[in-house]
Amino acid sequence: MSQIEIADISKTYAIGDISINAVDNVSLKIDKGDFVSIVGHSGSGKTTLLSIIGGIIGPTSGSVVYDGMDICSLNDDKLSEYRSEKIGFMFQFASLLPILTVKENVILPGLFSKKGLGDNIKKAEQYLDMVGIGDKADAYPSQLSGGQQRRVAIARALINNPEVILADEPTGDLDEETEAEIMDLFKRLNREKRVTFIFITHNLDLARQAQRQVQMKNGLLNEVLL
Amino acid sequence: MFREFTLFTLALRNLRRKPFRTGVLIIAIGLLVASILFVLSFVRRVDSSIKTASDRLGADLLIVPTGSRGAAEDVLLENKVKTFFMDKSIVDRVKNIEGISDVTYQTYLVTIVGSCCDVPETLVIAFNQDTDFVIKPWLSKELGRRLNKGEAIVGHESAFNIKIGLTEVDSVLFGNMFKMVGVLDKTGTGLDTAIFIDEENIEDIMKKGKSDLKPGQISAIFARVEKGYDPYLVAGEVEDTIVETDTMSRRDIGKDLINTLRDFSRIFSMTVMLASILSVFLVWTVFSAIANERSREVGIMRAIGAKESHIVKIYFLEVLVIGSIGGIVGIISGTTFSFFAAKSFMILKDLSSDLTVLERSSISVVSFLSGTGICMVGALLPINRIKKMEPLLAIKEE
Ligand SMILES: Nc1ncnc2c1ncn2[C@@H]1O[C@H](COP(=O)(O)OP(=O)(O)O)[C@@H](O)[C@H]1O
Ligand SMILES: [Mg+2]
Repeated sequence: MSQIEIADISKTYAIGDISINAVDNVSLKIDKGDFVSIVGHSGSGKTTLLSIIGGIIGPTSGSVVYDGMDICSLNDDKLSEYRSEKIGFMFQFASLLPILTVKENVILPGLFSKKGLGDNIKKAEQYLDMVGIGDKADAYPSQLSGGQQRRVAIARALINNPEVILADEPTGDLDEETEAEIMDLFKRLNREKRVTFIFITHNLDLARQAQRQVQMKNGLLNEVLL
Repeated sequence: MFREFTLFTLALRNLRRKPFRTGVLIIAIGLLVASILFVLSFVRRVDSSIKTASDRLGADLLIVPTGSRGAAEDVLLENKVKTFFMDKSIVDRVKNIEGISDVTYQTYLVTIVGSCCDVPETLVIAFNQDTDFVIKPWLSKELGRRLNKGEAIVGHESAFNIKIGLTEVDSVLFGNMFKMVGVLDKTGTGLDTAIFIDEENIEDIMKKGKSDLKPGQISAIFARVEKGYDPYLVAGEVEDTIVETDTMSRRDIGKDLINTLRDFSRIFSMTVMLASILSVFLVWTVFSAIANERSREVGIMRAIGAKESHIVKIYFLEVLVIGSIGGIVGIISGTTFSFFAAKSFMILKDLSSDLTVLERSSISVVSFLSGTGICMVGALLPINRIKKMEPLLAIKEE
């Protein structure tokens, strides 16, 4: 049994009379430790697919089974737990809380987790060093550039030791050097801790570094056979 | 600092982001709590002062000259200085009425500083120590013996006024020297501001001619009713038999005052109700705005694992902080205001009884809880909306 089994999921948005198939009958199996890239034009349904896997939105039809558990049938609390314990999500857009410092933003997921804060503070400092903004730990998000905020979001996604990391254009506004560092970090976590990675990117070079590559077009998914 | 990073931290940070709005809410709740506290204190004081006063007089019936009912109530309930007189022979006529057991009487004199006396305007009560049952219960502990001629004992409050107890002073009353031999226990009635002397002294007082009292006059008769008789019926009987008198039974004493004060209480209570409703709307409006402003943030928190209950906790903590700070501000300002109001409002100044520490604290607690409760009620719907913010908001661009 695969870690994540996506079977025939569709997501339809209705805008007035028009309905859009953002995700159209997609099936995909992902094993623990897989390293998957998703490419596709803007509006092809990548974010929608990633959000369905992450339990952030529900599909209109189909099922997502995680370690044998159908996440589409979970109640709100259980689904929150799934998001909290299993998934680390990096959003496409700025997603830090303006009232918290960088370090507090990073440890925030611990507040919502059964495991609690634990040694998150030390870990947060390590991760922030790792993504190169250790000196900004006590700054507020408004004092950071877009690229720096993205790095904070990466540290935040890692803090609860998720089994799966879902990253929506994680290196979007980053310079090539940092981009490479982040990819190295992902690969290392993937190798050493068997963390599953699914990331969306526009950068085909990055996509090619993944062990599996999928393409999306008009809601349809195609796996590139290597 | 990081050890204490909790949901409460989030609530506090949220409050700090718009200090002016938070301040306005706190002040609004503070004002509300202050007015609740003031009104509760007022209502409570009115109730207890009337109840204690009529109960503590120890008489079932109060008999006064016709038309002096209000004046008698002013004297006994409100610490006012008033006199009224009737013929002493009425005492015996009251005694003869069926159902009356004990009868005693008092004569009221007013001191006028400078002309007759050396104490400020005070009511002097001359009473009959053989028959008395009104003063005695408050006197026995202090003195342990009869008051002699030329001796006076002062009410609890006037003791303070003329500084008895601090220094032993003798005073001139109606041209006669009186030795102040003690202080009456606190009665919580109009008696607290009076000075008491035995009726033996009246003769001397009249000899000096410094009082407008005429021979054979008294002011009020106190009577007890025999077991098995209805005080109301006996009161009616007294009034019918002795047309020169007005008679009040224990429960009637202070009825007009009660009604006036009850009206005040009612107006105050209605005002507080309106203020509460306004506060609910204010909190509701503010938190609805908050729900809109922070919808995406809440969506992000949900997307990274927060349950609805986490969100609810954060926002209830926010409301609670506003409610508690507002409550404390309100208790402090309300207590201060009540204190000054008691000094400057005629109607409160004249009430004889004051609130006990227990009453004061329970009123504070009730006001505090009402303030916080009203905050909660106002925030209920908006918070319910906030917690329903979808995690999907996190994937949208701002
Ligand atoms: N909440 C929504 N309401 C309506 N349409 C949406 C919503 N989210 C996405 N869509 C539409 O679904 C399609 C796929 O969007 P998305 O998954 O964001 O694509 P991508 O991430 O590949 O750019 C787009 O046409 C988009 O306009
Ligand atoms: Mg997208």
